[in-house]
Amino acid sequence: MRVREYILPGLILAFLLVFLVWPLVYVFRNAVVDTQGPTLLYLRMMVTDPAQLEAIGTSFLIATLVTLCSLCMAMPVAWLIARRSFRGRSILSWAILIPMILPPFVGAVGVKILFARFGAFSTLMMWLGITDGPVDWLGAYPLGGVVIMESLHLFPVLYLNLVAAFSNIDPSLEDAAANLGCSPWGVFRRVAMPLAGPGLFAGTILVFIWSFTELGTPLVFGFRRILPVMVYDKVSEAGTNPLGYAQVVLLLLVAGVGFWMSKRMAKSRGGVATLGRMSVTRQEAPLTGFGALLAQVGIGMLLLAAILPHISVVLVSISRTWLSSVIPQGLTLEFYARAIGSELTRTALSNSLLLAVGATVLDVIIGFALAWLCVRKRIIGSDWLDTLSMVPLAVPGIVIAFGYLGCFTGGWFKDSLLDPRFNPMVILAISYAIRRMPYMVRAAHAGMEQTSRVYEEAASNLGATPFRVIRRITLPLIAANLLAGGILCFAFSMLEVSDSLILAQRENFYPITKAIYVLMEQLENGTNVAAALGVWAMALLAAAMLWASSLLGKRMGQMFRAG
Amino acid sequence: MSGKAASIEVRGVSKRFGAVVALDNVTFDVHAGELFFLLGPSGCGKTTMLRILAGLENPDSGKICFNGTDIAALPPHRRGAPMVFQNYALWPHLSVSENVAFGLVERRLPGAEVAVRTREALRRVGLDGLGGRMPGQLSGGQQQRVVLARALVLNPAIVLLDEPLSNLDAKLRGEMREEIEKLHRETDITFVYVTHDQTEALSLADRMAVMQGGRIRAVGAPLELYHRPPNTFCADFLGESNLLQGIIAGGTGGMVSVKTGVGTFQAVFPAAGSQPAVGCAVNCLIRPESLRCTGREGANRISATVRSMRLNGATTTVDLECNGLPLKAVLLSQYAMDIKPGVQGDWYADQSNTICIVEE
Repeated sequence: MRVREYILPGLILAFLLVFLVWPLVYVFRNAVVDTQGPTLLYLRMMVTDPAQLEAIGTSFLIATLVTLCSLCMAMPVAWLIARRSFRGRSILSWAILIPMILPPFVGAVGVKILFARFGAFSTLMMWLGITDGPVDWLGAYPLGGVVIMESLHLFPVLYLNLVAAFSNIDPSLEDAAANLGCSPWGVFRRVAMPLAGPGLFAGTILVFIWSFTELGTPLVFGFRRILPVMVYDKVSEAGTNPLGYAQVVLLLLVAGVGFWMSKRMAKSRGGVATLGRMSVTRQEAPLTGFGALLAQVGIGMLLLAAILPHISVVLVSISRTWLSSVIPQGLTLEFYARAIGSELTRTALSNSLLLAVGATVLDVIIGFALAWLCVRKRIIGSDWLDTLSMVPLAVPGIVIAFGYLGCFTGGWFKDSLLDPRFNPMVILAISYAIRRMPYMVRAAHAGMEQTSRVYEEAASNLGATPFRVIRRITLPLIAANLLAGGILCFAFSMLEVSDSLILAQRENFYPITKAIYVLMEQLENGTNVAAALGVWAMALLAAAMLWASSLLGKRMGQMFRAG
Repeated sequence: MSGKAASIEVRGVSKRFGAVVALDNVTFDVHAGELFFLLGPSGCGKTTMLRILAGLENPDSGKICFNGTDIAALPPHRRGAPMVFQNYALWPHLSVSENVAFGLVERRLPGAEVAVRTREALRRVGLDGLGGRMPGQLSGGQQQRVVLARALVLNPAIVLLDEPLSNLDAKLRGEMREEIEKLHRETDITFVYVTHDQTEALSLADRMAVMQGGRIRAVGAPLELYHRPPNTFCADFLGESNLLQGIIAGGTGGMVSVKTGVGTFQAVFPAAGSQPAVGCAVNCLIRPESLRCTGREGANRISATVRSMRLNGATTTVDLECNGLPLKAVLLSQYAMDIKPGVQGDWYADQSNTICIVEE
């Protein structure tokens, strides 16, 4: 009995040790050991060298600004979607997820072209007489560009967390507050916000750490004095400069502190058990007339801003030239044909699909198992496993990828299925899964914590074996959370950049992102073909999401109304 | 283990949650087919005891037998003791029928039998035709009935009920109380029923255990515990009571003489064991309905002043005061016609209804 209980956590632990801890230890070791032996020189440089300090400060500034901007965007939208009914709400609630479905580095390409010295925006400004000559807008305000781009990309993450948190609050708790004389604003501030607190805080921490470690966007914008890009430069430079590893250690430290705080807060509040919720069904207050219009237009404008990069990607993909003009010139569909016409792109599309499905399945299994062990079983050491599973949030993809290259290309693993030089598919799927595992674990965790344990007790009391309890009660009750987490995993796995660039080294194993990257380097209309491939990827993702939601449509609707 | 009511033996069960002792060496028996109550104020450990019977908690020590078989090693799903949860615990993603059929499906019964028994169970609790609804579309009383049906449909040997009426309004509570009694009468099932409501326990129980602070303070039939409580806690917790502190002044043959602040009484000493010595501190219990304004020969007499009175309908409650001590009497209203506040007079309690209680 005792031994059997430790088989599952043992398997998870082994997986995490091999595919997460080992590569990290490898990276760590290189930070404190150079050719002359052990040294703390590089770690000390991080807090004494002005250049390093400046990069750290800039990273913090960007992460803080991105978090605040995302919060300002996500909060009102989430509240409207969760608590008000108005025409177009369901469409808008899905449309908000759109900004997440293009890799920011492709979106950034669109923005770069849009805001370049002779780009559409600059031309428009001159035409309107606001500026005299062409202005390199991104060159002038690179920090602003990075912050806006990342905020628009990341606010849906916060939105998803907030909507889930708001929807899961027992309506009678808010009714009670209103009944005791609380104004709507007071209900929001004193009841809804504190109850949504854990969800809000978790989302905020996610966005902060994400933007703190984001590599793609600043890289494309040429914003180099920031920690992740400096790490990337060190790794691509030689891979032997220990300062890069010291910078990674600092990134890990910041993320670790963030999660420790988030955990502390969740603990001090205790579990919010909402059981009585099935007795009251939430009735969303309808918005009509001006209020509805305001909500529609407000969310619509935000969406428009958020998908501007994607729109410009689409425009790039259908035009031959787009310089010194507001409207792109020379419309054509030729690049779409070229984007799926070649062997390279076709295999890239199927590779990415395969990898994303594999990574998502792996993540759903691990995420659910971990949440179940931590929240329900509470076996000794499960908290440690949980903490360990959060570590990837703090680990930029390049670090893991680089660790894998070091760990799995030699020794036992040489020419095995795990050797990325031999066949990168398995290790790519695992690296995608490891990278997105925290979101899945969080999602499953939240679902498990918000579902009263009594439902499971009742099932086992009526004769269901532990396995049957999970299948018939636990899984259906947290299906909405698992689905949300799964879609996130899938979408981000399709668009994973850094691991793909490093690990997929042979053309027949390229995923979409690497194919796009390679195409952009090609001279003759490469950018246009890359953009077209990006649009194909977007369509594929949209189809996948629509399919998932239609599959679970009715049931999901019920679940989001909290039973 | 189904189809025939089972007996339950609980022997020396203890359970701690961190520093809190939830159960302290609890021992009691439930006879097969009984409607047995665990009664006590909140936090007394009664729900923990029920969850241990269901296997949802494991005791730190002690033994539990169903029908003489030790069930300590059985996981919850093999105990065969379905529970009626306080907050219903109806699965929000399953329909009413699916909720009720759950246990049958887990027992791998053929689909046709599941359907028939589910329909029959819903009919029995008065929910014909509501099987297609979702739990959220039912009222509180209806949800409670579904939970009952979900347990009874299994035709179990034991049903555990955790404060089943606490979420219902007074009228529904009365209806459901009768319903539960009827269901118990019609089936051959041992019911273990947890509540903090003494009227529920007194009116329904075949026998009951009164709990306080994780310990059993008394086990017995309601009438016996009400009229002959073994300690002041039970005397005070069950019904209304006048408890008078006093000391033993003498006594023979099951009767003792107790000197209290309002006079010296002859009282019954019901507890087992030897009579207390002269000078021993005890309590005298006189139930309010045992105090009357007319006395028989040999009754204990108290000279008291009427402070206030309230008409309850059939009965009238009279607040009395004697030597600065408050007393309470409940009379049939027809005998209260001549009583007025401020009037001083003699009140009587039969010796057989004056109980001497020694604290252990």
